[in-house]
Amino acid sequence: MDVSFRKIDIDQYDEDALLVTELYEADPRDPAQALNDVKQKAAAVRSSLAKGDIVAALMLVLEDAPYGPHLDDAKVASLCANLHLQTLVSILNSTKSSEIPGVVKALSTDAQDTLMKYLYKGMALPGWGDVSGSVLLGWHEKLTEVAGTGCIVRAMTDRRLV
Amino acid sequence: MAPPEVFSLSQQTPVTCHAFNADRTQLAVSLNSSDVLIYAREGNDWKHIDTLSEHDKPVTSIDWAPQSNRIVTSAQDRNAYVWQQTPDPQTGHTVWKPTLVLLRINRAATYVRWSPNEDKFAVASGARAIAICSFDPEGDWWVSRLLKKPIRSTVLSVDWHPNNVLLAAGGVDMKARVFSAYIKDVDKRPGPSVWGEKLPFNTICGEYASPAGGWVHDVAFSPSGDVLAFASHDSSISVVYPGGPAVHVIKLSILPLVTLAWTTEESIVAAGHDCQPLVFAGNQGGWEIIGSLDDPHANKASGGSRSGFGGASPVGRLNSAAFNTFRNAAERGISNVPGSPTASSSNESELFTIHQNTITSVRPYDGVPGNVTRVSTSGVDGKLVVWDVNAVTPIGATGLAGKLGKMQLR
Repeated sequence: MDVSFRKIDIDQYDEDALLVTELYEADPRDPAQALNDVKQKAAAVRSSLAKGDIVAALMLVLEDAPYGPHLDDAKVASLCANLHLQTLVSILNSTKSSEIPGVVKALSTDAQDTLMKYLYKGMALPGWGDVSGSVLLGWHEKLTEVAGTGCIVRAMTDRRLV
Repeated sequence: MAPPEVFSLSQQTPVTCHAFNADRTQLAVSLNSSDVLIYAREGNDWKHIDTLSEHDKPVTSIDWAPQSNRIVTSAQDRNAYVWQQTPDPQTGHTVWKPTLVLLRINRAATYVRWSPNEDKFAVASGARAIAICSFDPEGDWWVSRLLKKPIRSTVLSVDWHPNNVLLAAGGVDMKARVFSAYIKDVDKRPGPSVWGEKLPFNTICGEYASPAGGWVHDVAFSPSGDVLAFASHDSSISVVYPGGPAVHVIKLSILPLVTLAWTTEESIVAAGHDCQPLVFAGNQGGWEIIGSLDDPHANKASGGSRSGFGGASPVGRLNSAAFNTFRNAAERGISNVPGSPTASSSNESELFTIHQNTITSVRPYDGVPGNVTRVSTSGVDGKLVVWDVNAVTPIGATGLAGKLGKMQLR
């Protein structure tokens, strides 16, 4: 059976088509400012990690995380998002697996949801940077035990992609 | 604290929707087909007595007006019918006679509800519109006016305000809205309420986004009409006080809720993909989850051996034998192929809850608005269950665990 008709983009004939950008409110910061924020946070996170305060470091990263593609300046936006992911991964990698449950419990629900989004983003980038699948899966397991399947559902529905 | 009444209406097919008549002696359901089946209560069972066949695509929603005893149905064939009992001229028997409604929509009709005065009904649709239908005595038909702006996608549910004018709607564009559905020839001018004072047709009285971008599955006004609750696919339930203005959001640790009903001004029963009705309570100061009407531990206490290798109890629906089967296969290389000698009993994939699949509809069953004492639920497992809303099992005991019902003010 010919199923190529399924691939026709019917929205192009619809003058009132719903665009992806209308589905969520864009990150209010402009890309340069977001990049600046991310760089500052990376520095703050390093000092928190040096003190061994993982919860504080995670909270820093997960609060006001940059999201969404900035259509006008995609290059800066992706640089920004990747740098932020790198910062987050550095925290994840430096946490002992026995400490994870306590850290996860200390986070707010919003922070847990954002962390889940980053875990999935990390898993979507195999072999990127020093992202290790087993570390991500370990965090995913502990996070799901604490925050439940609801947290995974929110990571999937939310269009404010990190 | 009566135990829930459980009826299996079908073994294989889902119950798309259900509606009772005024005295709960008859029941209209659709079993995922284009027919509406009418059942009559016989002792402890439901007997099939009539079939309403006029739609030619699956029925999506049914509502039964309690006072005027009329049924309205909507379906994927883009039509709605109003069914009225009239004597058949040939046989003299009373039959359900359909009247077609001119909806003027070009996509499926998804949801239908009578207004409180039963002189209007609202049909939600995939055509980014809600048809508000009223009876035109001159033409002897139901005519519709469309609520269109600013709906951007399929509307999944609607609910009427007790004043017969305001309508809440929620849908795929991730917003819950309150509209005015004022029809000049039908309605008296409504008094001012928390939602506004002047209310011409299609006035937007409120627009609320779901917290994390989930489809709004169900909306409902509180009995007074002053509060709006909606459940969305980001596993959350939001309660809106427009006067406050305050929105209380409860993010859940379980799978999303898809249907909800107010039982009193300060409590809600909601259900969905987690297969059990949950009870929420609160007021303008805040809302929290109280517990579940289902008690998964009591139900299956004698359920025999469950392959329980895992010591830690996972959350929600993960706590099923199906999940354990895959986990055993992945972690220990044990594969329980159905039919193989190692496979355990056939009820191995049974859930601990009474409903064995997603609950798609919860509706008031007994009591008056503002003091509902029993609710009915139906779902994909083909079951219809009537629950006592006061028989609440606290969440600690239901195994939902974790930080369920953590609440915050937005």
